[in-house]
Amino acid sequence: MQDYIVQMNQICKSFPGVKALENVSFDLKAGEVMALLGENGAGKSTLVKILSGVYTKDKGEITVFNELIHNMTQKIANEKGIAIIHQELNMCQHLTVAQNIFLGREPVKYGLIDNKRMNKDSRAILEKLGVSIDPETITGSLQVSKQQMVEIAKALSIDAKVLIMDEPTSALTSREIDELFNIIRNLKSSGCGIVYISHRLEELTNIADRVTIMRDGQFITSGSYKDFTMDQIIAHMVGREIKEKYPHVDCEVGEVVFEVKNINAGRMVRNVSFNIRKGELVGIAGLMGAGRTETTRAIFGADPKENGQIFLNGKEIKINNPKNAIAAGIVLAPENRKTDGLCIKLPVRENISLPNLDIISNKAGVVKLKNDYKMSEKAVQDINIKLPTVDVNAENLSGGNQQKVVVGKWLSGNSKMVMFDEPTRGIDVAAKVEIYHLMNKLKREGIGCLFVSSELPEIIGVADRIIVMCDGRITGELSRNEATQEKVLTLATRFENKISN
Amino acid sequence: MEKNGLLKRQLSKQGMRQVFTVTCGLIALCIAFGIINPLFFSQRNISNLLRQIAPIILIGIAQSFVLITGNIDLSIGSVVGVSTMMSATLMTKGMNPWLAAFFTLLVSLLFGLVNGYLVAGFKLPPFIATLGTMTIGRGIAQIVNNNYNTGAINTIEKTAEAVDRFRNFFYYGKFLGIYNGVWIALAVFIVFNFILNRTKSGRYLYALGSNPEAARLSGVNVLKTTTIAYLVSAFCSYLVGITQCCSAGMGAMDAGNSYEMYGVAASVMGGVSTLGGTGKLIGTVVGACIWSVLQNGLQFANAPVAIRNIVIGIIIIVAVLLDIIVRNRKPKLADSKKQ
Ligand SMILES: Nc1ncnc2c1ncn2[C@@H]1O[C@H](COP(=O)(O)OP(=O)(O)OP(=O)(O)O)[C@@H](O)[C@H]1O
Ligand SMILES: [Mg+2]
Repeated sequence: MQDYIVQMNQICKSFPGVKALENVSFDLKAGEVMALLGENGAGKSTLVKILSGVYTKDKGEITVFNELIHNMTQKIANEKGIAIIHQELNMCQHLTVAQNIFLGREPVKYGLIDNKRMNKDSRAILEKLGVSIDPETITGSLQVSKQQMVEIAKALSIDAKVLIMDEPTSALTSREIDELFNIIRNLKSSGCGIVYISHRLEELTNIADRVTIMRDGQFITSGSYKDFTMDQIIAHMVGREIKEKYPHVDCEVGEVVFEVKNINAGRMVRNVSFNIRKGELVGIAGLMGAGRTETTRAIFGADPKENGQIFLNGKEIKINNPKNAIAAGIVLAPENRKTDGLCIKLPVRENISLPNLDIISNKAGVVKLKNDYKMSEKAVQDINIKLPTVDVNAENLSGGNQQKVVVGKWLSGNSKMVMFDEPTRGIDVAAKVEIYHLMNKLKREGIGCLFVSSELPEIIGVADRIIVMCDGRITGELSRNEATQEKVLTLATRFENKISN
Repeated sequence: MEKNGLLKRQLSKQGMRQVFTVTCGLIALCIAFGIINPLFFSQRNISNLLRQIAPIILIGIAQSFVLITGNIDLSIGSVVGVSTMMSATLMTKGMNPWLAAFFTLLVSLLFGLVNGYLVAGFKLPPFIATLGTMTIGRGIAQIVNNNYNTGAINTIEKTAEAVDRFRNFFYYGKFLGIYNGVWIALAVFIVFNFILNRTKSGRYLYALGSNPEAARLSGVNVLKTTTIAYLVSAFCSYLVGITQCCSAGMGAMDAGNSYEMYGVAASVMGGVSTLGGTGKLIGTVVGACIWSVLQNGLQFANAPVAIRNIVIGIIIIVAVLLDIIVRNRKPKLADSKKQ
């Protein structure tokens, strides 16, 4: 029998107004991958933050390598070889990749930082990860998926014996995910214990040995992964069964609601044209870096475009900035909640009403507080955001619930055309279904609805029509009936040189 | 019971806890000074103290509006100087004081406009942009009367009476036993507090300071919102300038020197973060009170100017430090209670 390297017993933790953990127990053996599962706000991140010394527990016992630790701090966690990859990117955007990887433990030579060695070691780690990133690039200039890989490299660079990964894959491309899984397998065979948190339940088959399931801050069950079916896991997580993971409704398809013609915006958006009809939910698929985000941003006026036309209900509209777009009824729920989606220091209520203030204020510009509360409370109910009151700051919500606030904020207005960029990133199964229902509702009401997604099952499951992009161009369209993963992938990898060859 | 609930609700609101703490600090200060010198609580001193607080409140509001958007305004003191010098010069030339005040208002607001456009339109770092306008402003304050302070503003027979009434209105007059300047500061506070807390523009100011990109993507007009903040700042500074002109009865070229820093002090003591996005105007008012009470109280305690400066500097640092410590410790306090 393998030894437990981590045992957490009867852990409790409260935040003002929330019991995040109530008597939760958790254990981990050497050389295994333990999947930690649960809905948004179940307390997964809180639990692993306690294990890594970021938060202090209220009650309970933590034993690491058979040693009872009373006061876990980040320093002790480091000494014990506990490394954590946080759910939110935690990097200094202005430093280089190597500087970030070795932050706080820079190699020193003659009393000075040994940049050469730092860069060399970083390069070696990144190569091991199979990513081509120059350690001397500025971190902030990298794509989110690359930044995530740097974060992983940082955790790997300290020879961890316990490695905690809080949703490492939510921002990765499929190729990088494969690399990550290879690394996880290697670490496993070298005796490292891994705690793995994810809402992409499909990927568990590849790596998980055991699962621990939590709900509402409580321990529900744990056991060998093989002993559970996916439906059972979901039922334990959510507390009820979910019949349809990808609900789809057929609507009568009417006239064109929204159309873009020949939009160009930099290298990532080239001659993009498409339309959306009434009663239709359109998905944009593609690999990371295919220009999907850039396309939505260009339409929304977040980035400048060189040319192109946009039509809403047959009328051409000019969009130079997001304000124009919102005024016309076109909105975009952006992909990166921390940088683009939320003002995390403001209450949830003010976040939700921010783009909708025109609706809830009078002519003089005075906000009617009653309507303000009504609006945010409705959004909270609609997509089941878990929070003590709508007056808490957005930064106090769990990652998935923050994402729900971003979606909720853009569904609260009277929009005519809604674009979502990765709306279900980091959101639990049940809430994903809620969001699909909301999108279906929009489409039934005749509101144009477009979403970008990197999860193929999702896009094939709920979209009526799939637009596939590659290298900033639309490379094809598939209707719901003809779409398969293979077909989407073929179109998504139709790079330009391939065509000319 | 009811009242208790109300207090609790207020405290649970963003930033209100800090306001509560600094208010306690203010009360403690007043009691301490009262014990050192009972004359501190004399009606005369209270009345004077309130009159001293008024401009600091205005300056604090000015800086708070800009700080909340995540920027800073270094030109506040210079706008005070311009406002004093320009209105005084025009009055010594025989212009009707109200008309002079009106022209001065236009010039002062121009500073806000320029600051807003430099920072949000041309994307200059606010520190640099307003450092520039600060220097320019001081230069203008010096040049309007050819590098001299002005003479008395009520010497021209034609307007003397109007000027005296003008001075009463802004400074010497009383209403309900309280100096008019205090009423003006109070009115300004009420209006701008309402704007900040209850209107769209107020929400935009906070959103901009909290996350400018998210604000922009939510349809906030960054240029307009930033400019509003700087305009408010310029307006409040203008009022202070006019008040100083009225109190001195002349224009001084160095009026308002380093007021922008007094504004920062009042703001941060009251819980407005220099990082933007947080803080309440009522906190700034309390911060301004602390500032003035310290000045006044230390004077009453016969502390020399040098000592006063040192003490006030220390108190600013301690006030902000205390808040950081309390904020970091709060969750742990809650923990220990549970155990
Ligand atoms: N710093 C904080 N202050 C106040 N409440 C918090 C804080 N961090 C977490 N919470 C609350 O604790 C609960 C558990 O949050 P946690 O982040 O652990 O959830 P999670 O299981 O990781 O969810 P997700 O899947 O969305 O990431 C949530 O209700 C959240 O609102
Ligand atoms: Mg989490």
